[in-house]
Amino acid sequence: MPASASSDLFLNRELSWLEFNQRVLDEATDASLPLLERLQFLAITGSNLDEFFMVRVAGLQMLRQRRSARRDPAGTTPLQQLKAISDRAHQMMLDQYRCLLDQLEPALSAAGIRRAVASQLTEHQQAVVQKIFDSEVFPVYTPMAIRDGAAFPLLINKSLNVCVRLAPAADGEPPRFAIVPFGSSPTRMFRLPADTGYEYILLEDLVGLFIQRFFPGETVLEAVPFRLVRNADLGVREDQAADLLAGMEEILDARKQSDCVRLDVAESCSRPLLAFLKSALEVDNDAVYAARGPLDLSVWSALNSLPGFEELKYEPWSPRASPHVEPTGCLFEMIRRKDILLSLPYERFDTVVRLIEQAAADPNVLAIKIILYRTSRNSAIVAALERASNAGKHVTALVELKARFDEARNIGWAKALEQAGVQVVYGVRGLKTHAKVCVIIRREPHGIQRYVHFSTGNYNEVTAKLYCDVGFLSCDEELGADASSFFNAITGYSVPLQYRKIVAAPFSLRDRLVELIEGEIVRRERGQRAHVMAQVNSLSDPQMIEALYRASAAGVRIDLNVRGICCLRPGVPNQSENIRVVSVLDRYLEHARILYFYHGGAELVFISSADWMLRNLDKRVELLVPVEDPDNRQRLIAILKSYARDNVKGRQLLADGTYHRLRPGKDGRKHRHQEHLHRLAVDAEKMLEQAQTTVFRPHRAAGKEV
Amino acid sequence: MAPDGDQSVPGQVRTPRLVAVIDIGATAVRMAIAELGEEGTFHTLETLAQAVSLGKDTFRGGSIDLATTEECVRVLQVYRQKLDEYGFTRPEQTHVVATSAVREARNRLSFLQRIYVATGFNVEPLDEAAVKRVTYLGVSPLLASEPRLAESNSLVVEVGGGSTEVLLVASGDVTFAHTFRLGSLRLRTTLEALHAPRSKVRAIMESQITRIVDQIRKHVPVDRSLVMIALGGDIRLATAELLPTWDGQSVATLSVAALRGFTEKIIVKSVDQILHRFPLAVPDAEALGPALLAYVNLARALQRDDILVSPINLRDGLIREMAAREEWTPNFTHQILRAALDFGRRFGFDESHAQHVAELSRALFRALESEHQLGPRYEVLLSVAALLHDVGHAVNSRNHERHSMYLISNGDLFGLTQNDMMLVALAARYHRYSAPKLSHEGYASLDWKDRANVVKMAAMLRVADALDRTNTQRVKNIQCQREGDRWVISVPGADDLSSEQLAVQQKSVLFHEVFGMSVVIRNAPGVLGHA
Repeated sequence: MPASASSDLFLNRELSWLEFNQRVLDEATDASLPLLERLQFLAITGSNLDEFFMVRVAGLQMLRQRRSARRDPAGTTPLQQLKAISDRAHQMMLDQYRCLLDQLEPALSAAGIRRAVASQLTEHQQAVVQKIFDSEVFPVYTPMAIRDGAAFPLLINKSLNVCVRLAPAADGEPPRFAIVPFGSSPTRMFRLPADTGYEYILLEDLVGLFIQRFFPGETVLEAVPFRLVRNADLGVREDQAADLLAGMEEILDARKQSDCVRLDVAESCSRPLLAFLKSALEVDNDAVYAARGPLDLSVWSALNSLPGFEELKYEPWSPRASPHVEPTGCLFEMIRRKDILLSLPYERFDTVVRLIEQAAADPNVLAIKIILYRTSRNSAIVAALERASNAGKHVTALVELKARFDEARNIGWAKALEQAGVQVVYGVRGLKTHAKVCVIIRREPHGIQRYVHFSTGNYNEVTAKLYCDVGFLSCDEELGADASSFFNAITGYSVPLQYRKIVAAPFSLRDRLVELIEGEIVRRERGQRAHVMAQVNSLSDPQMIEALYRASAAGVRIDLNVRGICCLRPGVPNQSENIRVVSVLDRYLEHARILYFYHGGAELVFISSADWMLRNLDKRVELLVPVEDPDNRQRLIAILKSYARDNVKGRQLLADGTYHRLRPGKDGRKHRHQEHLHRLAVDAEKMLEQAQTTVFRPHRAAGKEV
Repeated sequence: MAPDGDQSVPGQVRTPRLVAVIDIGATAVRMAIAELGEEGTFHTLETLAQAVSLGKDTFRGGSIDLATTEECVRVLQVYRQKLDEYGFTRPEQTHVVATSAVREARNRLSFLQRIYVATGFNVEPLDEAAVKRVTYLGVSPLLASEPRLAESNSLVVEVGGGSTEVLLVASGDVTFAHTFRLGSLRLRTTLEALHAPRSKVRAIMESQITRIVDQIRKHVPVDRSLVMIALGGDIRLATAELLPTWDGQSVATLSVAALRGFTEKIIVKSVDQILHRFPLAVPDAEALGPALLAYVNLARALQRDDILVSPINLRDGLIREMAAREEWTPNFTHQILRAALDFGRRFGFDESHAQHVAELSRALFRALESEHQLGPRYEVLLSVAALLHDVGHAVNSRNHERHSMYLISNGDLFGLTQNDMMLVALAARYHRYSAPKLSHEGYASLDWKDRANVVKMAAMLRVADALDRTNTQRVKNIQCQREGDRWVISVPGADDLSSEQLAVQQKSVLFHEVFGMSVVIRNAPGVLGHA
């Protein structure tokens, strides 16, 4: 905690996050974007807010319940923060529905994608709807009457439900309520026959048409959709958990009945119904969000995969082959020739998948070690690890059971891998293992050779197509030795020993970063050139921010690319006037962490798994990895500079915490960072193809590659 | 230091040999896995360490607690998994040693047995001589590669958890080597056991250290050219802190003033504070302050302004030893023989006779190779026995062979283990008179293999000694060959060999018994033997 906690120095973390979500929402309202992409951005703002409430708001509410007056670095108490969040989030909700109802839906309708209004169905549609209700809805869902004293049913987090108010049994008696819960993943959109385009009806609207059928002999006064978001900020007390796997499963159960932190309800709901829900779920007014339209905006992401509306989407940018990776042949040899930097998702992630698959099949590979933090469904990497283990190789997988919202999936992976004989470690006690690294140990004629892959992104084939990350493949002796030591440390084979090149959190990463910044300060004070560039997802660590302020005050130029939360206030005289913060929001999620220090001309460049947040630098196992060969270093520097120059999708953070869009200068030249990287990847692939067509490439017997 | 070993000739691809050494120390069990290259070079692949508090147990209560033993078992089982990962299959690929904490424990035998039963590792408790040998093997490439060290006196010091190793190397030769009972953890534990008041701890530590430092100083000529080379994990940690740019792999120069400042900061910190500041295990954190204090005090006593810090450790020496297999390097053999000569000189031995008998012994040893089947290190042991067979004269000429045995077996020769010294002592003991008997002290305690080896060496030594019966060193350049059941020694350039022949007749009975051949001496025709 800094000595002078103050809003002059720091922006509030939660409000900064809400501003990030606003930037996503701004994309949804940007009329220059394809319609379905705008809808997708809107859906993302919805799911983002859910997670924000489940973790951040829930955490603050628990602090408030404990009557904690602990102030954040910006000097605000939990209560003040909750109030500010509520105000901001309510405003955001109005904006979200204005976007959906006033902008997107009319435009979608014009483009042929229509949400049906229950009262305006054609006869044919009515018949279809009747059929759907009879076959797919009525037999599946069961209303639950809430009688006096009966417990409120256990509703699943984030699921949609309908609350029904029934007429009193007799005049003068209190109203009666029932709930129709839709469970965890109902079909939310039902397609209807239409002359043109695509027309659908939402589940809750369909149920609304036939609600009486669930309550024969009763009078339904109203049927109102609602959903609740629960506290997911519960973790295993690791000091008391002998078996983390079992403990984690218990936590997942506990989350099913944790407190409600947010109640979404249709605007149309009556006062008595709302009062009933508020009292049953124990929420106050601040936690109630009345929506002007359908609940749970995240469902609209389903329309993004609708076939036949390609003109409403981005032109596809398929990932390209890295010019240093040949389409066939032994990746170990390619890595031996040169360190390979992969710029995702512009270049193919399947290079990494291929490497692990080749390792699994290679008789000379002795061992594979990997960290799985968030892995996709049907992961080819996990399948390759299982094959490797079955082939008798020593496979070690650290599966982080504490990866938020992926706990259940990771428990599944952990069990499956263990069955295949993989040595599975469930993470490090008290810390989340967030580093992304894989090391392959291979016996070669000259001796043991280690191949390493360090990355800023997870071993996840799905997000590797959507997130901008950097991966680095090398057989550098020292990086290999460091990777082995690192695995020895996190799997409990050894106490942490000194690394040669890498730096790891929680022990020394922040110290090293501060040291690098201090180095720039010293050189600047001696009148030398000094420059820091950094790209992270979030910047909220007070010590890091203060180090950056000191550097700015000393005259060091600092360019920060911070996509999400940024608690640093840039451009304040005598504090941060040399700091510029840019956030790029575009079709891919910016996720890479790249660092640059001028370092007296040595130009040190690193990739890292760590954001500059307290949790990352203190509570997580993270890595900082130097990239030393000149080509790859220059590529990373170019990525940093390109991001900062984006005048199409870039926004600059101002001293007051707001963002303003960067626009082309007088020359009118546009620079869109992600498009630029995509073009580079396309050009590099083309050059490679041209080079290949001029050389004949004979097929050779296995093991005889030249 | 570690070449990548990539010197493979096409068609002659040979995968480097993988070895591992595990060192069960006072504060930790450590392992290094390495690939052996050409000519004794090696390349460390991985190092692992896990904290155990063996030193605490032994130095406080005299024996190792059951719980600590099981902790060692657990660590070694984990290390075993690591070895499986690299495909280790043969037991000789792994060398497991233990240092003072195990060596001094009263229950070391049950400890070693439990380790063997649970893990299959056969732990060798290193005696002091072995630690010295291994330390020397570790630092010798450094001494050879740094020109400034080749010329000067180097004092190599490692303050360990249980003891402090000191080697004085002058122009490449070991002139003094000793193990002092000054250990960082031993200091800390002893003070705790005595319930020394906190305020006094520092003063008591200093006085203990000063006592040992004074002893060391007696053996070390303090002049400008003296270089102090510090080894050990504690000094490495201090160096990494004081010299942030140190790569941890080369030799660093550390100012004693800076080290002193750092030590002052550490010594006042509680163990908890140290743990908070450094990623150390508890026993290492406890040992840090006392160890640094010992280095500082020694450096100041020797009036050094700076010291060299080498990243070399015990495991480097052990790997180097495995790289050389069972053979000692020529330089190392030279150091052993030098130490033997120094030992003999202390007792005023007849140096020319001793040297000559040693030379004749070596000639016999090489000629008889197919008969005795002994490895090359026995040639060194036989040479030492030959050099020292008569040192007992210093006590009394009567029964001097017994006095020789007594002096050698109680002596301390650089590079030789206690077991080696016993073999040498017995070979000297049996250079005359009685043949070995199972009732003889020392001999009886050997296993049957070692007993046979002693007899073989004594038989050769007796013949060599007989060949210099006249003490004139006139029998040289001998040629040997087997003729049926006779072992014929041809001596070039001698006219009258009657006294030697008589002596050999008397002294070759044991030889006949052992090798099944009688020994015959004859004049070689003409002048032979400019070897």
